[in-house]
Amino acid sequence: MNSVYTSWSSIFIAHVKRDILTNSRSLIDLISIVGFMILIIILFPLGLGPIQEKLNIVSNAVIWVGLILAIMPSLEKLLQKDFENGWLDQIATSPIPLEVVMLSKGISYWLIILIPLIITSPIFAILLDMDLKNIPWLVISISSGSLAISLIGLSGSALILGARRGNILLPILIIPLMTPILIFGVGVNEAIKINASPYGNLFLLLALTLVYLVISPFISALLVRIAIGR
Amino acid sequence: MLYLKDLTIQRGNKIVFSNFNAVIRSGYTTLIKGKNGSGKSTLLRAIAGFTPLERGTIKQDKKDIFENNEEWVKNLIFLDTKNGLSKDLTVAENLNAWLTMKGWSSNKEIIKMALKSVGMEKYAELYISQCSEGLKKRAALSRLYISFINKVDFWILDEPTNELDTTSLVLFKKLVFNFLEQKGTIIIASHDQTIIEKNFYTLDLDELKKQRVS
Repeated sequence: MNSVYTSWSSIFIAHVKRDILTNSRSLIDLISIVGFMILIIILFPLGLGPIQEKLNIVSNAVIWVGLILAIMPSLEKLLQKDFENGWLDQIATSPIPLEVVMLSKGISYWLIILIPLIITSPIFAILLDMDLKNIPWLVISISSGSLAISLIGLSGSALILGARRGNILLPILIIPLMTPILIFGVGVNEAIKINASPYGNLFLLLALTLVYLVISPFISALLVRIAIGR
Repeated sequence: MLYLKDLTIQRGNKIVFSNFNAVIRSGYTTLIKGKNGSGKSTLLRAIAGFTPLERGTIKQDKKDIFENNEEWVKNLIFLDTKNGLSKDLTVAENLNAWLTMKGWSSNKEIIKMALKSVGMEKYAELYISQCSEGLKKRAALSRLYISFINKVDFWILDEPTNELDTTSLVLFKKLVFNFLEQKGTIIIASHDQTIIEKNFYTLDLDELKKQRVS
């Protein structure tokens, strides 16, 4: 049995490597996401007017909402490209279960698209005049929450495979699923603001991430099977 | 041997096959012919285990391919008109990604040999986005060479020769010949009846359907 697991993990890593390589060749996607995020962060204070207190109230939520909106265009392409060029058919002949492959897709998407956003999030926080003591908690909550968001996005992306107008459908379908992540993610920092313990919200956020980590690969694999079976 | 028994396959609202029976013999090339829309590709995708069956079974000897799917696809190379090549990667990188995805060892030597078998060694570092359709098809066909290094029993090929020029066609026939030598089984859907010269038999979907109706 041991050799089975070693080959599983090596194939898993092979999938992640390929995804990172393909995405590193089209860096414009990544640049556009970070750019879009920066624009949201810049536009918001301009819209709010010159009162600092107002900014302090919304800064936390703006980063989270900005993050969810900024990654939407990239989510639809997450599986679409591989579906169109036939790679998903090839993946279906991989010796590891499709569920494991889907997990690798979710993880590699998180590594490629969301890690850069997580790294840049302290800068956004400073731009929005967030308290310095909040910033480490923001990074922790976004790190966990964004993994859940990518996994939900993966399932959504699998759902619209082969659908016409999928790009319009996708946000409507998956943003409602992301609301719990948003609520508990924002909750972590709101608790810090009122000097309460952030752990309640943080643990619920981690629990949700773990739930999606378990169910999303199964849902996505099922949907991909339907898409390639048509 | 591959037994297709009482297959009923539906695509959307259209029933493509109903109660279809056939046997695919091991160690031979099965050439599936039929007019456009007769269900050649659908049949191939069903045999590969992609398209679910409404009714019926596909058995390899005694094992159902849907129940033992992982075991079935492991020794199978599937290639259709969508080549499964990422346009952001080079020819060699695509082959490497495919090899590691299949769980087979990959190194420069293997990739070089595989590309050489389809006359692509000069194009190894070319991006797929810069390749012509013929080059793309050859890059995809280079996977077939891996059958001579790892254990592969089946090739399922959908229109493999459409974009090939005469030189590549000769190389393709050589790959087919070598695979049959090592007792491999090939299923090809094609309009072109001349691509295979020996050890083959045809499965005419139009004929089979007509017989059932009459």
